[in-house]
Amino acid sequence: MNEQIVWIVLKRLRTPFLVIIITFAISILGLVLIQGTDNNGDPYQMTFFDAFYFVTYMASTIGFGEAPYTFNYEQRMWVSFSIYFTVIGWFYGIGAIVSLIQDEALKKALNRNSFRNHVRNINKPFYIILGYNGITKSIIDRLNGHDYRLVVLDKDEEKIDELILENFYPNVPGFVGDATNQKMLKIAGIHQKNCAGIISLFEDDMVNSKIATISKLLNKKIDIIVKATSKAQLEHFRSMNLKHVKNPFDIISKRIYYGITAPYIWLLEMWMYGHILKLKKRDQFPLGKYIIYGKGRMGKAIQEGLQKAGIEYVIEDFDSQRYIEEKNTTIFGDDEDIHRLIELGVKESACIIAATQNDLLNLTILNKAKQLNPKIFTMARENSLDDLNIFQASKINKIYIVEKILADATYSYIARPLADLFIQEARKKDDEWARIIVYMLNNITGMNPMYFETVLNDANAYALTLRLEKGENISLADLRRSRADRNEMLHVVFLLLKRGDNIYLMPDARMNLQIGDELLIVSDEENYSDFEYIVNNIYELEYVLGYTSS
Amino acid sequence: MNMHKIISGSFFILAMTVNFGFFYGEPTVLEQHSSYELFAAIIVNLIATVLKLGDRTQLGAVLLATSIVADIQLIASATVWAFAIYVIGDVNIEAATAIVSLSGGALLANIVSVILFVGDTLKSKR
Repeated sequence: MNEQIVWIVLKRLRTPFLVIIITFAISILGLVLIQGTDNNGDPYQMTFFDAFYFVTYMASTIGFGEAPYTFNYEQRMWVSFSIYFTVIGWFYGIGAIVSLIQDEALKKALNRNSFRNHVRNINKPFYIILGYNGITKSIIDRLNGHDYRLVVLDKDEEKIDELILENFYPNVPGFVGDATNQKMLKIAGIHQKNCAGIISLFEDDMVNSKIATISKLLNKKIDIIVKATSKAQLEHFRSMNLKHVKNPFDIISKRIYYGITAPYIWLLEMWMYGHILKLKKRDQFPLGKYIIYGKGRMGKAIQEGLQKAGIEYVIEDFDSQRYIEEKNTTIFGDDEDIHRLIELGVKESACIIAATQNDLLNLTILNKAKQLNPKIFTMARENSLDDLNIFQASKINKIYIVEKILADATYSYIARPLADLFIQEARKKDDEWARIIVYMLNNITGMNPMYFETVLNDANAYALTLRLEKGENISLADLRRSRADRNEMLHVVFLLLKRGDNIYLMPDARMNLQIGDELLIVSDEENYSDFEYIVNNIYELEYVLGYTSS
Repeated sequence: MNMHKIISGSFFILAMTVNFGFFYGEPTVLEQHSSYELFAAIIVNLIATVLKLGDRTQLGAVLLATSIVADIQLIASATVWAFAIYVIGDVNIEAATAIVSLSGGALLANIVSVILFVGDTLKSKR
């Protein structure tokens, strides 16, 4: 238990203890001094033990009758006095203890203590998440327990209650506290050796920046993942040497740019986030004129992407709040609105994007546009995850959920670092390269391949490391042999190999492996488990390497 | 002048002096040791202990420790006494010596406590 709490309790208990001791002492002394009468009528003096025994059960109002002999009147008078005297003492003492238990300050200290202990007892690497909301919840859902443990700090007590009611397994300790407060960050374990990093995705850039600065000072080694929505903020974070700045609008802007100019690179990226590895017709961004409704951060990001891609567009300065106030409705589409849509050229446009901050308005804008031009490609911004079903039902071609994008990007950075790296590298290539990769993956592993990340070390590839330690040359091609028949190929593709700071995209099959190589492998469940057998089992490995013939 | 200091200081010293009063006398002869004095010593010691509760300083912790030792020894002394009378039925020389020497141990703890208290008082300039 924390020292501080012990002291709070002891100090508070001082007076009640004193009261109880004094009331007991006086009652006992009185009983000893008063002369009693025994069963034969002879006088006797109570010993201290008799008196102590009697007062103990009398004061706690248990009541056993009179001992050792029936009392005489002097004794009864004194006992009558003592009963009230000691009972008051007890009640006061008990009352003080009860009010101490209910004390808010003590409760807070106790909670803080148990939170601190929880964090201290985490022995896996963990991330500190600041703020509990839809985004961080989905990060917790996916990260917790598999790769990392998590700890949450939030200013709002209700949010922490929500977190506790979620009942995550393994447990996610949460505590009410201001994330910009150094002390709270320390309690959340920022100094701990196994603290992997801190995730700060607040809406307010200033808060993120403050947290980043404090965290950087408190612990230089940890990863700091922050959200930045403006260019200036981004620059600021870059100058602080933070590598993991997440900007959801930047991601959207890039996706639109790649979606239009290099659909296969876009496809590879989307596949990493769970899309199937096939370019469907309705995924393809149309060429032609684009209409953007909404000139907020999202609208501007889309504008940027379109500009880079060299697409003609109009951007409509549409403020959802002002619209609701003026027209007193969230349904878009009166005569004035339709007139405006036609004026913007909805009939000859290829695509309309509704990027306002109101979901219902976004939906109705797209509906109206579709009525005017049934062929138009529709894209919407979805602001809150709650209305997911309405959006899915309304047949919109593309939906951008800022929260989800941010959560996905953070998750993939933390848990799938090689996939993240692969996307970055792939963006440097051209679309033709990406198209070939997609065809190759489809041919070898099917339409819906999975990807796995592994490090060649003792824990993940036992047999392989044994051989590599002996100085043997084993190439990637050797590992692609089937363990059923070594002349057959396993359906796996090595997409990326990371050795120290060197990154090999689509590594050469003749490349020799080294201990500590990180591999991004594309395969299906079955073939990947074969691969794991081969690198971990000495006999399987010997077979595929051709040492034994069976 | 600090009222709490006066009260707690007087109880520390009273605990020691009352304890000495009980301890003083031939250890084998229980008649020379008053049970009232032992009772007073226990009560005063308990009060002194409670007064030391909640002091966060290093010295406060040590004072509390010595006080707890004194309490344990005095209560042990009273327990031995009650045990000798009511369970064995006879307070022999062995029991009498144990009663008195246990309170002697408590007296040592009291003395340590008072020395620490005095030392702290001398050390403080104001």
